[in-house]
Amino acid sequence: MYTRRAFLKSSGLGLLGIGLMGGVPTFVAEAVAREKNNPLYSKRRVIVCIFQRGAMDGLMAVSPFEDVYFREARPTLFMDVVQKASENPLIDLDGRFGLHPSMKAFERVFRDKRLAIVHGIGSPNTTRSHFDAQDYMESGTPFQKNTSSGWLNRAVGLLGHDNIRTPFSAVSVTPALPRSLYGEEEALAISDLKTFKIQGNTALVNQNAKSFEDLYDKATNDLLRDTGKESFEAMKLLQSNLAKHYKPANNAVYPNSGLGNSLKQIAQLIKMDVGLEVAFTESNGWDTHFNQGKETGIFARNVGDLSNAIMAFWNDIEAYQDDVLVMTMTEFGRTVHQNGTNGTDHGRASCNFILGNHVDGGKVHGIVDALAKENLEDGRDLPVTTDFRTVFSEVADKHLRIKNKNELFPDWNGEGMGVLR
Amino acid sequence: MARQHSECVKNKNGLLFLILKKTLTLIQYRRLNARLLGGFLYKRANDVMLYQGKKISVFFLFFLGLCFSYAQKNPEVFPYKAAGLSEEEAAIHLLSRFTYGYNVNDVGQIQKEGLERWFFRQLRGKATDKELAEMLEPYADAMLDNKTLAEKYPRNTRVRRMMINDGYIPKDSVINGSVFFKEAYKNYLAEKGFKPEQELYRKFIAAKVLRAAFSANQLQEVMTDFWFNHFNVSFTKPQSAPFIPSYENHVIRPRALGKFDELLLATAKSPAMLLYLDNASSVAERPNAKNKIGINENYARELLELHTLGVDGGYTQKDVSEAARILTGWTIYPLNGYGNQNLIKQITKGNEVQRQSLIEEDFVFAANKHDKRQKTVLGKDFENNGYDEGVELIFYLSSRPQTARFVSKKIAVRFVSDTPQEALIDNMANAFLASEGDIKKILTAMVYSPAFWHRDNIYSKVKTPFELAISSVRALDAQVENPNRLINWVTRMGEKKYYYIAPTGFPDKSSYWINTGSLLNRMNFGLSFTSNKASGINIDLLELTRHHEPESPEHALDMYAKLLLPTTDIVTLKNRLSPLLTAQNLQKKVAKSSGADLHRQDEDMLAVNTRKINNRNRKSNNAMLAQVVGLIIGSPEFQRR
Repeated sequence: MYTRRAFLKSSGLGLLGIGLMGGVPTFVAEAVAREKNNPLYSKRRVIVCIFQRGAMDGLMAVSPFEDVYFREARPTLFMDVVQKASENPLIDLDGRFGLHPSMKAFERVFRDKRLAIVHGIGSPNTTRSHFDAQDYMESGTPFQKNTSSGWLNRAVGLLGHDNIRTPFSAVSVTPALPRSLYGEEEALAISDLKTFKIQGNTALVNQNAKSFEDLYDKATNDLLRDTGKESFEAMKLLQSNLAKHYKPANNAVYPNSGLGNSLKQIAQLIKMDVGLEVAFTESNGWDTHFNQGKETGIFARNVGDLSNAIMAFWNDIEAYQDDVLVMTMTEFGRTVHQNGTNGTDHGRASCNFILGNHVDGGKVHGIVDALAKENLEDGRDLPVTTDFRTVFSEVADKHLRIKNKNELFPDWNGEGMGVLR
Repeated sequence: MARQHSECVKNKNGLLFLILKKTLTLIQYRRLNARLLGGFLYKRANDVMLYQGKKISVFFLFFLGLCFSYAQKNPEVFPYKAAGLSEEEAAIHLLSRFTYGYNVNDVGQIQKEGLERWFFRQLRGKATDKELAEMLEPYADAMLDNKTLAEKYPRNTRVRRMMINDGYIPKDSVINGSVFFKEAYKNYLAEKGFKPEQELYRKFIAAKVLRAAFSANQLQEVMTDFWFNHFNVSFTKPQSAPFIPSYENHVIRPRALGKFDELLLATAKSPAMLLYLDNASSVAERPNAKNKIGINENYARELLELHTLGVDGGYTQKDVSEAARILTGWTIYPLNGYGNQNLIKQITKGNEVQRQSLIEEDFVFAANKHDKRQKTVLGKDFENNGYDEGVELIFYLSSRPQTARFVSKKIAVRFVSDTPQEALIDNMANAFLASEGDIKKILTAMVYSPAFWHRDNIYSKVKTPFELAISSVRALDAQVENPNRLINWVTRMGEKKYYYIAPTGFPDKSSYWINTGSLLNRMNFGLSFTSNKASGINIDLLELTRHHEPESPEHALDMYAKLLLPTTDIVTLKNRLSPLLTAQNLQKKVAKSSGADLHRQDEDMLAVNTRKINNRNRKSNNAMLAQVVGLIIGSPEFQRR
């Protein structure tokens, strides 16, 4: 349990504006007055996790274009850095790896050394089932099915400032709570911030909200009364700050996609300063067994959406960049060889992207050996050379300042790899 | 039932008791003989019984019949008076624990029937349900067995493969979401007589809603839900998903009030569980085999940790591994596109199933995949005995005291409170052990425990979103026209039914369900409930009040609060809402939002068509009633049970 209402202290800005329900509650005003000169959260850090469900082909996103084995393994899917007629070439990152041309948006932050890529990342558990692999990655325990909590939920619990939890500390912009946020700590799953209020016809909505607020205020059950209070506070806070027509900063243009909309809402939450620390959302459609395409097609559209959405977000929150880190993850990679339907099947390692001002960027971290058959896992897959927990726990440690990584990732004692400075 | 019968007599009539006891002993003696001494003695005992029976049978039967009918009418009274509860309060407590919801009429009815009689009738779960059967007709496919389902509703991925194999579409044209593919997919399904996978899931969930809302066997439905969550499987795992309808309908529901060990065994053999926790692919390790296949411990671990002993049940990793080895070879029958298609060839010769292997509908024990070495679990040795080894393991685990306690506590948490009293769990665990896991006996022990009726436990549970939605339907005698729309609300309130990923099932505690994210949605649910478009519910609010049209919003609140929240202290509710409801402008506002504009109404006064005005008035009045009911459903009182 944390001190309810405490989160309100943070949010001086905008609060004295017009409250949706007609005026700001006294305690909010008091809290604001008290804390105005002493913002508790100025140092609050935010992690934004994006789960790419379906298993991204890391070898197509960040291609080892120099590798002759790879060229052979993918007769119709291989891409090169060399410009050919009517084909967009890969973006040469370091003479060895090429970034998919649809991720051009990433090039600038990579050159600015704020975007790092870890290649060969994955789970030590060799399952190639989406379900199991996602489950293991989200619980953070690759060999334990029965871990009841998700790693991000545990992270919230380990942030080490119990008294300033808010209903918006952990938010997943998804229809249902993801496995990563299952657990003891309160976490909010919400797909549209605008719906976080009492709904209905405008003529009645305020009256209904008032009635419910009164009813819950007098509830005999503690849980219902306290949560009711908190819900109405959160609602007022959110709705009074939520712009009717949100205008991203820096003319950032979000793709009109699920991920684009989710990240836009996360940006809004960050700017409202309502106490967000752990944000989660997801991107779908990575299971490219059929016709994954090259510089156009499904895969190109997916990576285009991913990079454009992330970069729109990054530009939108420019003023907060020092405190925000974005990390992508995917349950496994795909086969080195293309299959019979111009796609790729379930493999082992993939790559992920980490964006932030404290990231040791401009590098492709990790180990990717030549893709000769003898170097592959089971003779077919990019082997996992970096346990995902290496990166996750380093991010938790250096960005969120969570020291007790054994609680975050039980049964794991590895060290970080220097992805963050 | 014998316990109830004999006890009732003990209280009332000592002689009758003695006679009954003698009869029962004789019957038991006969059974014992039969079991211990085999056929010959069994026959003899039988003869003795017959001989004695001739002389005394009439006498016995007379008294026996008398006693039985007496017991039927008056089972031992539940100990609620000692807890200071009135009969009405006790009736409400009972209904809130063993049904999906009630209104004031139900409370009256079970008092008339007798609380105990009602409970034992619910325990039997044999009430015929013609109305429900009719309602379920459109969703009949959800009741099909796995084999039929696999043929009729093939998985999307399989349809795609079939389309390519049949040359229906070119190999490289399969792009999910493309218009061409969608069209081709639809045509292909129609041509083959297949139905889309998603349709099955929709039907299944719709049927679930209807059963919960309208089944006469409410306790059976509640227990089905409980056991499903205890033995959780999830639509999120695509391999397991197609088998989930049959899992609930054919594995769980028929055994929900049966014996725990039989239920456990049935789940262990079900394709849904075998695939969800991977036992279907767990096989004995072959050191020299080319492909790296072998033991998968997932199921064995959950069997010990979640299904039987509990996490503190005193087992080790070695027990888990050995249990997994015992269960190697337990897999699914290869159905249309599922499972190992060569399996049947491997274990049969002609029409004969080979030594030790076993085929039982959708379950297969493949002896050739079984680990034949010796195993030890919890100190008990298991010699190589094929399929029977696993059955023995499951029965052994079911009979452990840790299991009795773990399962009893879980039931108590569901039915009594988030933190049930130790004494209560003791009573239940004892009943579990004494009855060898008879679920009826465990529940009976629970309701006969004083702790069940303790005041602290009244309204102590928070309704899950599903319970809130269904209890609203039941409280208002509403019709469910679109069950899937109702279930969308349940999802929005934080319970995505059948999609909980982890094998633990949804946590059963109030704080899981009541949080900032979900609470506003519960209120919104209340407000939208009476709107057919939003909730899929059809409701006649006036019929509920027997067409006594409430005179004012305040009056309406009074009427509906009594109906929906009998005996709850509604003074607070009224005090809080009355100023609002009597406010001059409410009716105006409601009317406005319901589309009946008052200014227009004034103009209409001049109109000849007075019927139109009446309709409009009625519409505005109905909207006012809907408003009041919405506030009650969204109120804190209605969130509890």
